[in-house]
Amino acid sequence: MSLFAWHWALPMVLVLLPLALLPWFTHNQDKKVAWVAIVPVDPLSTIIGFSLKALASVTIASLVLALAGPFMPEKKIERVGEGAEIVLLLDRSRSMDDAFAVKTQAALYTVGKKDSKRRVAKDYLTEFVKKRPDDRFGFVFFSSQAINLLPLTYSKEAVLATIDASALGKGLSNTNIAEALINASDMFKGQNYRGSRIVLLVSDGGQLLEQDAQERIKELYKQENITVYWIYLKANQGMTLEEADGKSRLWADSPERKLHDFFKSLGQPYRAFEAKSLESFGEAMDEIDRQHYDTLIVDEILPRESKTTPFYVIALIAMLLLVMSQLYTVWGVRKAHE
Amino acid sequence: MNLSFQTRLTAIAGIMLVIFLLISAALFMPKVDRTVKVMDMLFVIDITQSMDVKDVEFKGQQISRLDWAKDYVRRTLLELPCGAHVGLSVFSEARSLILINPVEVCGNYNDLIQMLTKIDGPMAWVNSSEVSKALFTAMKQAQLIDSKPSIVFLTDGHESPPLHATLFPKYQGDLGIISGVIVGMGGDELLPIPRRDEAGMPTKEVWQANEVMQQNVYVSSRGDLGKENAQKAQTEHLSSQKKVHLTELAKRVEFEYLASPDDPDQLIDTLVDIAKTRDQVVSYDWAPWLATLALILLGFIYLPVTLIRSA
Repeated sequence: MSLFAWHWALPMVLVLLPLALLPWFTHNQDKKVAWVAIVPVDPLSTIIGFSLKALASVTIASLVLALAGPFMPEKKIERVGEGAEIVLLLDRSRSMDDAFAVKTQAALYTVGKKDSKRRVAKDYLTEFVKKRPDDRFGFVFFSSQAINLLPLTYSKEAVLATIDASALGKGLSNTNIAEALINASDMFKGQNYRGSRIVLLVSDGGQLLEQDAQERIKELYKQENITVYWIYLKANQGMTLEEADGKSRLWADSPERKLHDFFKSLGQPYRAFEAKSLESFGEAMDEIDRQHYDTLIVDEILPRESKTTPFYVIALIAMLLLVMSQLYTVWGVRKAHE
Repeated sequence: MNLSFQTRLTAIAGIMLVIFLLISAALFMPKVDRTVKVMDMLFVIDITQSMDVKDVEFKGQQISRLDWAKDYVRRTLLELPCGAHVGLSVFSEARSLILINPVEVCGNYNDLIQMLTKIDGPMAWVNSSEVSKALFTAMKQAQLIDSKPSIVFLTDGHESPPLHATLFPKYQGDLGIISGVIVGMGGDELLPIPRRDEAGMPTKEVWQANEVMQQNVYVSSRGDLGKENAQKAQTEHLSSQKKVHLTELAKRVEFEYLASPDDPDQLIDTLVDIAKTRDQVVSYDWAPWLATLALILLGFIYLPVTLIRSA
């Protein structure tokens, strides 16, 4: 850890360093001496005079260095934690504005105030994020385009604020799940494998994915080894993702089922949670929470560290010696005059 | 100053003692809690296609309005004191969309910058640009955020479809709850607007006169205004910074308007005047001041020009 690894908060101050030479130019020994030659040569005095000047130089230099604000920049260290890396895909489509888990068709269209699917999703995600101290979260924004809005970060504040923002205002007209899924895997691209990787999709509908997109997604998810969770917020109680015997064939070709089938065919760990009610949503989040405490390599940032203290200590010691010598001089001269 | 040799020595000893005490204080005095004023703000960036016009001169280069806007936000973030909270949002169509609620600027600087770089034209969900309504939705949404952040609205003021001065949308709500600044960008000359394709990617073409709405739809159905409206020069496919419109808009919502500010200080100074500030406790270190004082006193003692001269 050499001096040169340090950074300076105010490097400009360093131009004041030559001030340290001041004591060597000072000649304020203007006491009246009749003839300089009669002053005896005293090697001890020379050494003392020299040391006093050196001490003064050291004091000035240390103060200037301290003022320039030396610090060790923040450092990233890796530690082993428990958790996962999770990319959140939160559906922002208009239908998410509808009320969550209502029994009647009519109630569905009293566009959700507090209990809209988007608000409910936000509340549970917020709780989930808060519960998981070591996880790294990313957030994909998707409307007609998908954008990796928040690349994987440890900042809980940033993730929570992004989730909060997603609950404000009305939904958007178009959503493109295929692109969102592809972009989500991009977040892991080129990163070291640190622990379980999860893409968590929260939506209230499915989408038919084009063949091209399906193949792309399959390939990417295998390559990056991603687990998929889908929390499906049901609008209609009758609909199930799995085909049930004797149930109406009405939903057989629904996009939700198609998406579900596609996820199953991924060849990657996948689980769907059909949230019918607030409790079942909560249970889904708890289930995911329980399952993912694998070993995870976590980056931790050690904050920048100020290094001014040693300089103040040096200045203080040098100054202490100077004060003592000066006081001794005062005492000595007073004695001589008596 | 004329002092006897003895007094001079004593005076120097005194000053040295003071210096010694100052350095000890710098070293051992605990940090003091002090309150500073910080503000919360929400940046709203116009991502409609008129923002692609390259008519902003920045460091000797012509850059697009959007690039300038993003860079201006970045530079502003750098100037803000720690403790200030910043949120980001974009507008397209007739609404603003908040991407991240205000977060503390120093701790989340990296994430904010990452997000800022992601803001771009393809994010737009519909190709229209109703500046006034977008500003209103931004104000409405800012009210839903607990800290009631001030809005910094970055736009060129280009309304598409066009607005008619007599049919100005009205803000339905109370003014004065949310304060803010409109930052205008773009030149005074009407220039063609580069066209983006369906996926929001730039093309080499520009918007043509017959591809955009030239008249306000509501006005064209009114006899009196309709005639005048129909004879209006067809310039809606071209764009400049709409200073008159933005001044009027700012007046209506009691915002300030800054046309093409040079540096972030102008924005921050304006915000300090109008924004609600919050007291934030920061631990303040007096050490640099004490050390500076010690250094000045040392200079006083060792300056080659003798200030304290013996008689």
